[in-house]
Amino acid sequence: MMAALKAFWNSPVGPKTTHFWGPVANWGFVIANELKSSSIGGAAMCVYSALFMRFAWMVKPRNYLLLACHASNESVQLYQLSRWAKAQG
Amino acid sequence: MVGHSTHPPWSSFARGLVVSRGSRKRLEKQPTGPKTIHFWAPTFKWGISIANVADFAKPPEKISYPQQVAVSCTGLIWSRYSTVITPKNWNLFSVNVAMAGTGIYQLARKIRHDYFSEVEVEEVPSRRMKKGSN
Repeated sequence: MMAALKAFWNSPVGPKTTHFWGPVANWGFVIANELKSSSIGGAAMCVYSALFMRFAWMVKPRNYLLLACHASNESVQLYQLSRWAKAQG
Repeated sequence: MVGHSTHPPWSSFARGLVVSRGSRKRLEKQPTGPKTIHFWAPTFKWGISIANVADFAKPPEKISYPQQVAVSCTGLIWSRYSTVITPKNWNLFSVNVAMAGTGIYQLARKIRHDYFSEVEVEEVPSRRMKKGSN
């Protein structure tokens, strides 16, 4: 357990690097957007997260944390979009 | 290093915009060119930055502290991030510098409004009384 934590701490994509804090900051940005009824539409956030999921996959080093962040945001935005679409009838 | 160019970073971007003979081969060689996600992700992010600029017209009361702090932090951290990934992404760098700039500007506006404007503006009850007395 300690070995795993130590490995994570020292990892090239760990909390000592910006490869970790970039995605974390992105999370904060997405959450802050959710709290406020955003001026950036749900459809735009869908496109945004889809693009950045692909970006996170293709970048070196491959950034799974960023991928996870945008995958969850994408799910949330698609759900909201589906609710909106349903309401439209 | 894969994707490392010896030319100044903006020249490969500019070359991608110029249509000329042999440009397809050049486009294919560009690690952050318009055929790659490394181009379109930051380009789309410009839209978000511009939305924040549109919010400059908003009155400071409507600005949200958590959102603008998040925007500023995101911008600053990602500016650094874009220089340590492969390929180095100057498009991403510039959009995040702009984002941090808009976030910090909005924060400054709101802080100035909340803490440095006249006392009457800050005290809502007295403002209400003033309105009632008119």
